Amino acid sequence: MKELQRFGYPIFFVVMAILPHLLNSRWQAVAITFLIFAVVALSQDIVLGKSGMFNMGQALFFGIGAYTTAILNSQFGWPILATIPLAILIPAVFGVLLAGPIVHLRGDYLLVTTIGFNIVFVQVVQNNLGGVTGGPNGIFGLDSLSFFGTDLISQVSVYYFAFAVLMLTLWIMRNLEGSKPGRALHYLREDQLAAESIGINTRIYKIFAFALGAGIAGLAGTVFVVQYSAVSPEAFNFIQSVLFFSIVIVGGSSVPGVLIGVFVMFVLPEIFREFATWRFFIFGFAMIAAMILRPRGIIPATFGKIPKFLIKESNHGA
Amino acid sequence: MDIFLQQLANGLTIGSMFALVALGYTMVYGVMRLINFAHGDMVAASAFVGLTIYTQVMGQAASLLAVIVIFLLTAVAMACVGIILERIAYRPLREAPRLSAVVSALGASLVIQNGIMLIWGPQMRIFPELVPQISWDLGGVVISLIQVIILVLSLVLMVALYLFVEKTRIGAAIRASSIDQDAARLMGINVNSIIALIFIIGSSLGAVGGLFIGLYYRGITFNMGWQYGLYAFVAAIIGGIGNIPGAMLGGMLLGLFNAFIAGYVSSTWSDAFTFILLIIILIVRPTGILGERVAEKV
Repeated sequence: MKELQRFGYPIFFVVMAILPHLLNSRWQAVAITFLIFAVVALSQDIVLGKSGMFNMGQALFFGIGAYTTAILNSQFGWPILATIPLAILIPAVFGVLLAGPIVHLRGDYLLVTTIGFNIVFVQVVQNNLGGVTGGPNGIFGLDSLSFFGTDLISQVSVYYFAFAVLMLTLWIMRNLEGSKPGRALHYLREDQLAAESIGINTRIYKIFAFALGAGIAGLAGTVFVVQYSAVSPEAFNFIQSVLFFSIVIVGGSSVPGVLIGVFVMFVLPEIFREFATWRFFIFGFAMIAAMILRPRGIIPATFGKIPKFLIKESNHGA
Repeated sequence: MDIFLQQLANGLTIGSMFALVALGYTMVYGVMRLINFAHGDMVAASAFVGLTIYTQVMGQAASLLAVIVIFLLTAVAMACVGIILERIAYRPLREAPRLSAVVSALGASLVIQNGIMLIWGPQMRIFPELVPQISWDLGGVVISLIQVIILVLSLVLMVALYLFVEKTRIGAAIRASSIDQDAARLMGINVNSIIALIFIIGSSLGAVGGLFIGLYYRGITFNMGWQYGLYAFVAAIIGGIGNIPGAMLGGMLLGLFNAFIAGYVSSTWSDAFTFILLIIILIVRPTGILGERVAEKV
């Protein structure tokens, strides 16, 4: 594991940095998709893996971010880059408002409530509430990324924009792990009662985790708008949330595991296009097999610098 | 007033279908603490299995005997699928972290849903008209024969299940296993058989629910399991998941709520209202209407 961290990450970053120059435009688009969904999956990992809250509605915050950018651009003519602060802030505020009343719910109840939020969101945008979401067709024909007056239309520039967002996400997650909130989330995931008894305000930290995950997912939503210059309700329905949820658990809620999960779920189908109709049939079996063979995920997460002899073969439970 | 009575009749019909499917979720959850996400897709599959039995085995006969045979064969077939599902996807994960079993259930759901698509195709299929289209006009309220059949048969099944669980020795074993599996095992209860039995009962009730959905709505699609399954699951949670009378109550309440929303507001908002209702109920009563207030110990 240590070796992987020492050599794996630099190799990964170098490969990702030169990747767009090695690919044709179709595969560049696939790579950008990978980056976007990797960011959303990592934001899901903050809520589900790092904090242990059964959130099955992460596509909601992804969608709020994307729709924020799209509406500000199409209705108010804001340039895409200028929408970024709000595309982070509005999902984060929604994260606080929605998580606030429900974080005390038991695991499975939290899960179904977050599914509910996701479904309500999709129905709201489909029914074109307020006349700004474009209904079932969504919003299309949005501006491309422009930076101080220069349009960055080429896929390579979009790729680097998405890559920068992924790097930012990884940096936030690394800092989170070593910081006070990160340790607090880890404790409350392991044992909420014990965390409360040593003075951790679990409610505040749970809401914080939701807001952080929501903000990052919202930023990924902006990248989504830049890539497709369109948004539509289906891109954010609850099936997407199910995929992100599964990716985090199958991956073992570690960064390499989640990235592998995103690769398998979103890139492999592009390689094996002739099996398109079999895609989810095979994924279903793969999910069952992965969980039976490795119940704690493909690459289980390790936390912090706890000496090995202190970590017993414990069951992390729910 | 007419619209009220009409939606009351529709709501009771839909509600009894929700309740039948919700029982499958709640019984599995009660014993295994697992959301069986594949249950909704099993319900969808049973409508397709019923369709195939009708066209291939029964030679498109729609007599009363044929209908009974279709219901029985479908229930038996889905009970077998339920047992296989439990063996393959859930039994190896009983001691695993809970989320692993949830993902396995999601995987099983994808397998069944896309299995239906690969076998019967992605397009909507029309379920045969097994019950003659008779309806009565009771002073402005139209009630069809199929609605009466659904309501009566569902109530009979639910009462039978309730008596089975509350009054028989096997029922006592089911209740014991849902309270504490280890203690039940020490009392000589074969928990593995109980779990298999739970899947047999839940899947057969789901099969009846799936056939009702086919008979009532007529159009069946491979991915309808997500939708009906989610509603039934919400019904189980509203009633208090793990609680058998709770699932019946939750199903009926949700069916009535949906019918009144469709009647008085608009059916395009039914999903949103359903989940807003769920969220409000969970905020007021975090474990559902009939759920016990227990601390989560995991």
